[in-house]
Amino acid sequence: MSTTEIGGPSWRARLRALTPNTRRVLYAWAAAVAVIAIGSLFNPDFATWSSLRVMLVVASFIGFVAAGQMLVVLVGGIDLSIPWVLNGAAIVLTTTSLGQTGRTGLALALALGLGAVIGFANGMGVAWLGVPAVVMTLGMNGVMQGLTLGLSKGLTCASCASYAPKPLREVFVDKVFGVPAQLLLWAGVALLLTVLLTLTTFGRRVYAVGVSPRGAYLSGVSVRGVTVALYTLSGVFAAIAGIALVAYGGQPSLGLGDPYLFESIAAVVVGGVSILGGRGHYVGVVAGSLTLVAVVTFLQAQRVPEYGRSIIYGLVILAILLTYGREKSNA
Amino acid sequence: MPDRLRRLLSGPASLGYAVLTATAVTYLLVYTTNLGHLPTSFDYLSILNTTLPLVFVAIGQSLVVITGGIDLSVGGIVAFCVAVTATRVHGSGLTPFAWLLAILALGTACGAVNGVIVARARIAPILTTLATLSIFSGLALWVLPVPGGSIPSGVRMVLTNPTVPTGLIWLSLAVLGWLVLRRTRFGMRVYAVGSDETSAVAIGVPAARIKIAVYALSGLCSALAAVFYVSTTTAGDANAGGPFILTSIASVVVGGVAFSGGRGSALGAMAGAVALTLVIDVIFFAGIDPLYQSLFQGLFLVVAVLLGTGAALIARARRGAL
Repeated sequence: MSTTEIGGPSWRARLRALTPNTRRVLYAWAAAVAVIAIGSLFNPDFATWSSLRVMLVVASFIGFVAAGQMLVVLVGGIDLSIPWVLNGAAIVLTTTSLGQTGRTGLALALALGLGAVIGFANGMGVAWLGVPAVVMTLGMNGVMQGLTLGLSKGLTCASCASYAPKPLREVFVDKVFGVPAQLLLWAGVALLLTVLLTLTTFGRRVYAVGVSPRGAYLSGVSVRGVTVALYTLSGVFAAIAGIALVAYGGQPSLGLGDPYLFESIAAVVVGGVSILGGRGHYVGVVAGSLTLVAVVTFLQAQRVPEYGRSIIYGLVILAILLTYGREKSNA
Repeated sequence: MPDRLRRLLSGPASLGYAVLTATAVTYLLVYTTNLGHLPTSFDYLSILNTTLPLVFVAIGQSLVVITGGIDLSVGGIVAFCVAVTATRVHGSGLTPFAWLLAILALGTACGAVNGVIVARARIAPILTTLATLSIFSGLALWVLPVPGGSIPSGVRMVLTNPTVPTGLIWLSLAVLGWLVLRRTRFGMRVYAVGSDETSAVAIGVPAARIKIAVYALSGLCSALAAVFYVSTTTAGDANAGGPFILTSIASVVVGGVAFSGGRGSALGAMAGAVALTLVIDVIFFAGIDPLYQSLFQGLFLVVAVLLGTGAALIARARRGAL
């Protein structure tokens, strides 16, 4: 202990000098590295590039939905409509493309447009009508589920058997210099979100609204405008995840998006974003998504039965939250 | 009496009562125009028995929401207790009932775990219960890997008798329990913690202990729901709890309980739960494709809340004019 003090400030002091936001990103990456390190103790192949690549691809699906979830969580909201926006967009994509290369553009535009419209409606409901975010997005999830099931007749409609068009598969699945194209897309999303949130006026406004909507409003920030924009983006990201999932799987299924509701929230908080809003970075959420996938992959590799995976998954999230997800005491 | 009635209608649960009345009237209209006669006692009994589990979960959820929290783990606790009920409750005479008591204790203990993590470890309720949801669901799968199990007919006769409305007794007991609880010191403290925790602590309310108790009660309610669920369906399924997460939140919302905490009543949430169940019957008798069911439930949720906000705005405007 004393030797480190002679050589300069101790690592503890340096850690304390960081802003809470940066510190939480570090914790999130430390958690991801720890899980992968523990995994490779049991199984030396766990941390090889080919294994990591698979985990990263699986994590990228969570990463896309968590991007949208993080944006609304930053302003103290939550998006529970992700599962069926994702599923709806996936089905819109295959049923309008009919598997034909020539219709790829149209299908993509419609799927992304659907996400944007639903996200916009969520935002309007929350910001202008004053409906609590939980209620608005929960109701919207039901609306989207009903519409998706009803309009596709339970995924038995004539065009429901269509596959995703071939170019889309290439864009997502093919490798560029040995890296799956989807990972490059995820890196692009991470870069874009980080620039948007840290270097632009819009980003500063997002954090301002998250810390104090009232304070932001009084300093001239259009709180409603920011909120609507973020919910719209969340819908778009859910649609992107849906597109990526059908690009990989070829065809959508019903309930495709269901696991992503709670996983997106878990990735966001394991990534060091405060559920109360105003704090967190997407770089941390990338680590959070990877941590969740690494835990599940490790347990599957150890042949832990499903019930054990579920229990340990919950315990790991709790342990991570106990280390850096605690709220300040108000006593 | 009119004064009492007015207080009841302007109270926090009024949204729930209004929505329930509207849904019930719609149900009666749709039923009679389609079948040419009024619903029979069999219809009422089946509504009662299918709605009881959600009513119980909604009571627990409303208590947690009144303290300003949320309980996502109700799905896991219901599933866990359903699994234990369907696999362990055997025999005749009083043995099954002793088991039922043990299951209620189990649910309470699960809820208390949530409470301790929320109150002592200070992890946000939504995150705590998200993690424990995964744990309790895992335990449910461990106890009952594939759907199955059974329930002694003696238990069925007492809990959800298919011919005599025993469910009404349990429903009335739940209402009574809430009316008593609300007037106790504990009940007042639940509201105090929900309205303003810092002030509540400052005047000596043991906020942490109140929260632990509230989450434990929510666990007890989930266990009750599980017991009634198995009694109605006569079998267990480790995935039985999932739907209760979002529907219990919806019931609480329709019942006029505020997510900011401190306002609302379990009676409103109970009315909301019955209304949400009735909506499904309305859709069925109106001949709408059941695939559209969640569309109407979703719209119902948002419209109910918008009506509540609208009514509050009108009331405020009228008060301002006076």
